[in-house]
Amino acid sequence: MADTHKQWLEKLEANSRTKQEQFMNDIAAKLRHPRMYEKPQHPFRGAPDFWNTFEWTEEERIKGFTENFLSVGGHVARLQTMEDAKAYIVNKAEEMSAKYVVRQNEPELAALDLEGSLAESQVSVWNTDADQYWRARAAEADFGIVMADHAVAYTGSVTVLSSPEKGRSVSLLPTVLIIIIPLERLKTRLGEVLVTFDEAGREKLPAGIHFISGPSRSSDIENDLTIGVHGPGIVYALLVG
Amino acid sequence: MAGSKTEATVKARADLALNDEFLRKAVRFTTERLRNGKKKATDEHGNWEEWRERGKQIRLHTIAHLDYYLNLFVNNARANGVHVHFANNAEEAVGLTLDIAEHANAKSVVKSKSMVSEELHLNHALESINVEAVETDLGEYIIQLAGEMPSHIVIPAIHKNRYQIADLLSKEAGYTLPPDTTALAGFVRKKLREKFLEAEIGMTGCNFAIAETGSMVLFENEGNARMVSTVPKTQITLMGMERIIPSWSDLEVMATLLPRSATGQKLTMYMSGITGPRRDKDADGPDEMHIIIIDNGRSLQLGDPEFQELLNCIRCGACLNACPVYRHIGGHAYGSTYSGPIGAVLTPSLNKNIAEWDDIANASSLCGACYEACPVKIPLHDMLVYLRRRKVESGNGSKIEAIGMQGFATVMGNSSRLGGVLRLGKLGQKLVVRSGVIKTKLGPLKGWNTYRVTPSLPKESFRDRWDTLDQELKQGLKQMEPSMQNRMEELVRKREQDEKQGKGGHGHG
Ligand code: SF4
Repeated sequence: MADTHKQWLEKLEANSRTKQEQFMNDIAAKLRHPRMYEKPQHPFRGAPDFWNTFEWTEEERIKGFTENFLSVGGHVARLQTMEDAKAYIVNKAEEMSAKYVVRQNEPELAALDLEGSLAESQVSVWNTDADQYWRARAAEADFGIVMADHAVAYTGSVTVLSSPEKGRSVSLLPTVLIIIIPLERLKTRLGEVLVTFDEAGREKLPAGIHFISGPSRSSDIENDLTIGVHGPGIVYALLVG
Repeated sequence: MAGSKTEATVKARADLALNDEFLRKAVRFTTERLRNGKKKATDEHGNWEEWRERGKQIRLHTIAHLDYYLNLFVNNARANGVHVHFANNAEEAVGLTLDIAEHANAKSVVKSKSMVSEELHLNHALESINVEAVETDLGEYIIQLAGEMPSHIVIPAIHKNRYQIADLLSKEAGYTLPPDTTALAGFVRKKLREKFLEAEIGMTGCNFAIAETGSMVLFENEGNARMVSTVPKTQITLMGMERIIPSWSDLEVMATLLPRSATGQKLTMYMSGITGPRRDKDADGPDEMHIIIIDNGRSLQLGDPEFQELLNCIRCGACLNACPVYRHIGGHAYGSTYSGPIGAVLTPSLNKNIAEWDDIANASSLCGACYEACPVKIPLHDMLVYLRRRKVESGNGSKIEAIGMQGFATVMGNSSRLGGVLRLGKLGQKLVVRSGVIKTKLGPLKGWNTYRVTPSLPKESFRDRWDTLDQELKQGLKQMEPSMQNRMEELVRKREQDEKQGKGGHGHG
């Protein structure tokens, strides 16, 4: 095989572009209309109107989120300040003897100074050393600590977005996941979060957008609910504010 | 009797299937649980009809303008740095996959279960070039270890109890594991973690593809689809050409309909939107991302007024759980990837082969429970009738079927006999085993919805329910709902009238 990887990919792309035309022309022909290049009117975009005006008060959002998250086996703590969040995390890490902790490289988390406060644990900060194999660091971690970018009360979900400072693995590979949710990021409906991705547009989207609604689960052995089969089995949502 | 080998095999399987009380109970247990879960979830959410209608409209709109939206998706995905490929059929899709695997020098591929990959029989192909294909869904992994056919039931490993699974996994571990669910899952977690970190390629399906941003969306509960799309260097997404929706706003409707219909959940534990390979400075996510867009018979439904709506299907499995025939004998795979009412229509239609008509269609076509369950209102029951008509028209209707249909009509037409005879399951079973050969294509529900069975219902343990189920099975199934009964009678009456007036098919070009 003389071709380099790049040449091979270029060849595939050329094939793909030719085929794309055939594919689309064939679809248009089967649909019995000329190829459509103009954006069609889409009168039914998104949720029904009655739903888009539905909104919970803050107290209802907290209540709704908490109930949903608890019902799938997650844990929720309602805290006033980031100091409280820090105390909560330190306490949990000691209680469970967490040896390895990995956290996102975010200013709110840096301000907690977990590195200085968790004497018994080794705390690493995502992607701060180019020579590390970060996926493996996350895979061996007992605790992963992340900030929520958004949260949705109605479904009990938290949204995390990837970036160089925010690894996808940090919310996925550790055994225990701790998510800090500043209250102002807690919305009522899923649509309130999803619409922000339409507004941002393609170029501004991160590679990974993940909605997390509780611990990883399966019922594949005797139909028994098993928690934590791949993702974190213990998930704490800390509502702060 | 040289010519009857296949038939003998099918019959043998049929006997096996119908005698297997354990499997039957398991299927009924799970489908019932899922069905009740759906009911609870949709009641709780409210305005379900409006949501269904909205879901239907979005799917109809997208498919009606598929050339525009698919093209938009492809251009956006490319702009995101994805290598997009097209496959007209299974061979092309397999060819592309193997080519990518070879160029990635892959020794192993970690997979999260998807229907499309089943459709392509990929594991086999990968093994032919010495690439290990590792299924990473818990149940799927167990079955693979056992060296059995990929699951023939709802929960792929349900026919194995804890003790058998412990034996299997102990062999793999090299030490003895206790027959305890948590311990077993814990071992698999550790074992598969090594596989995720080792594998050169991760492979997933795709629940939805967002045209306006070129993103692909995955719904799941275990987290293995996230693993597969985050950890390995190369990621391949297999995507049916109809998976498109226009925007993230439209995803709210799909995310409202899909998990509630599939498992009764408000949302699956994970919903991920992936937009291209990892960014330059990201420390995880794949370096190289491929999306293979697959036709494999789907485009045949485009422009066909009777079947185009099949492309609206969001693969939730609700029609399977609603189907009395599937509930009763379901869960036994007889070679087809897609099962239940949707499978009965989709399989022959995907294969371009109307002759592959089977008994489940006869039974389901008159009942309509599948339509009522469907979150995007696909008129499956009508399609089953169309399909049958086409088959008869093309001369493929067998005599046995004609008789069977008559018998069915007789039963249906005489309402006084309904009460006694129409205990749904019995009827279903009769139709299916009629002529002593099972021809149904009742495939696995497992894999149908990849995030699968995770009942979020009030805890009633498997074992608690077991005895009751046993009783129920012995007593036969519950009486048919009156509304369903009326509908069936009405349909038979209409059909008889049509036949008398010599009305055959109506306008299928
Ligand atoms: S046809 Fe069946 S699987 Fe498809 S969307 Fe409707 S109910 Fe779900």
